[in-house]
Amino acid sequence: MSINSTLATWTGKSAYWFLHTFRGGGSSLPGKLALKLDPAILKHLAKNYDVIVITGTNGKTLTTALTVKVLREQYPDILTNPSGSNMKQGIVTTFLTAPKAHQKPLAVLEVDEANVIMVTKYITPKAFVFTNIFRDQMDRYGEIYTTYKKILDGVALAPEATIIANGDLPLFHSKKLPNPILYYGFDYQADRDQQAPANTDGLLCPNCQHILRYHSRTYSNMGKYYCPHCGFERPQLTWKLNALTTMTPTSSDFEINGQPMHLNIGGQYNIYNALAAFAVGRFMDVPAKKIAHALSENDEQVFGRQEIFHVGDKDVTLVLVKNPVGLNQVIQMISTDDRPFSFAALLNANYADGIDTSWIWDGDFEQLLQLDIPAFISGGERYRDITFRLKVAGVAPDDLTIIPDLTEMTAAIQKLPTKQVYVVATYTAMLQLRKQLASQGIIDGGMA
Amino acid sequence: MTYTLHTAHLYGDLMNTYGDIGNILAMRYYAKAVDATIDVDLVSLDDAFDADQYDFVLFGGGQDYEQTIVSKDLQTKKAALTAYIENGGPFLAICGGFQMLGHYYIGAQGEKIPGIGALDHYTLSQDNNRFIGNITIKNAETDQTYYGFENHNGMTFLGEGERPLGKVLQGNGNNGKDATEGVIYKNTFGSYFHGPILARNEALAKRILKLSLQRKYPDADFSALDQLNEDLTKNVVVKP
Repeated sequence: MSINSTLATWTGKSAYWFLHTFRGGGSSLPGKLALKLDPAILKHLAKNYDVIVITGTNGKTLTTALTVKVLREQYPDILTNPSGSNMKQGIVTTFLTAPKAHQKPLAVLEVDEANVIMVTKYITPKAFVFTNIFRDQMDRYGEIYTTYKKILDGVALAPEATIIANGDLPLFHSKKLPNPILYYGFDYQADRDQQAPANTDGLLCPNCQHILRYHSRTYSNMGKYYCPHCGFERPQLTWKLNALTTMTPTSSDFEINGQPMHLNIGGQYNIYNALAAFAVGRFMDVPAKKIAHALSENDEQVFGRQEIFHVGDKDVTLVLVKNPVGLNQVIQMISTDDRPFSFAALLNANYADGIDTSWIWDGDFEQLLQLDIPAFISGGERYRDITFRLKVAGVAPDDLTIIPDLTEMTAAIQKLPTKQVYVVATYTAMLQLRKQLASQGIIDGGMA
Repeated sequence: MTYTLHTAHLYGDLMNTYGDIGNILAMRYYAKAVDATIDVDLVSLDDAFDADQYDFVLFGGGQDYEQTIVSKDLQTKKAALTAYIENGGPFLAICGGFQMLGHYYIGAQGEKIPGIGALDHYTLSQDNNRFIGNITIKNAETDQTYYGFENHNGMTFLGEGERPLGKVLQGNGNNGKDATEGVIYKNTFGSYFHGPILARNEALAKRILKLSLQRKYPDADFSALDQLNEDLTKNVVVKP
């Protein structure tokens, strides 16, 4: 241990103690201070750990939570970073504040796509998990190919680590890598030759640049793809979803490699997250039965992604949306609800939301019109954009209430004609709404 | 519906990166007011473009990689697209689509990528910089103000016979230098605006819709479009 890293560790730990004791928080500042004193502090802090890095556009947080749950069946000491602390400083803070581990401990880290290299510079992970790469806040990260390259730049520093990747996404089969790669994917549908819809990203065959086709598709450009021109196709799957029995907004039943599973979270996209957690579990030798047990117990709400609260007699489900693929998956999840419900969409365009609102036009709001929804709310700082989007999708003006000022949301929710209410919101709109709800005592004001 | 516009969505499966399809959705929404409908063909790699078959064309923007593939295939459609444009066919080209109607643009690796030269502009690249942010322009003929979001590395310079879609009031526009944004040539409109442009700018959507309908149905009366005013404030709840 160098003098620098000792001092850096002490400073970071003290800062955390101070913040935690007197301010009730502190997620990135201790890491920031420690990094200032020793930029290579991670190397020292993480040296005893087996590290699993989870990255991708959508599903990082939930996949990380599920993976930790699965691995706890077998491994007592698991360190993980809290949701949102997925950049360098947050990761350093996570290690700084870890309780003393007894055996060789595991760390399961959610890592922002562009920050993978910040981690691999100092840590050699045992495995990487690639959930997916979709278009997301392009003003920040650029195109899907650029994002994948950023991840691979980080992976290049750990050529022996195993990659566990979503096999249904063509991009993850597009580059020859020195690492061992294992794939998971959906394999429960009968083959039916088809094309993806016109406004889908990432449809070019990486070998010959023709448009990919599908034997079966799940959503976006994911599925059992193949190129009719050169024969490029989905790789062999090590872990397969071989049956999908039921889906409701709050649960799914399915089988992976023949093992029946029950998950207390709705949405097809969360089945992908469970598949990834299953894959990591099996990779780390957790028996399939134990994995099924761990996942069936999971009923935690992951902050913000999907949160249920009550306003008067209304049951409100709040879901974070940040890109068209995520939005379409939320709409798919909502469509499995057989109770009557109302729908609200809140749009902001601050930095954390993505400052370009164009993406709402790639979202399939038209699907909502198939669901007999009696009342809609549009709101947020960019209420004009989301209002027009809903009107173009076919929402009748008389069914639509417009709420530019989110302090009016709770009153508006109480006037809705249904007990069930779904609210989708971009990041800062969600924070504003939560702040409002907290000030009215509807939810706990604490932020993760 | 009494009237129909046949639309070609050029490379809609490759050039679709920023909600460009919203331009068609917005036009279709306004078209309902004059009993018109818009149907859409995807015209992509290896498909022929038949200039006589279409009343409106949308050509959106794509990712760098997709655009290099499109640029090659586009050469096979060069004659038909040029004929359509010269003939006064209504055309909306956004971002990469706008660049590719011109002579060339510079790709991500500094390579010169040919357009079809149907319009007389060309596009250079900036070193490690993009124009990203909200943009406002004013159209000279109509005095209308248009709002959008730009996100481009390219710097486009208009040629002879091309006039800009607008003068930049806020933002960067075509090249950050001459205060021009977009292009108008005959009935072809080009722009860097996302948003999408026709979803954010009702007046421009109705202008392009009306000229497309009038060109196909010269004897019909579409003046109802001018009276239409999308009220986005109906049912707004304000703080008491």
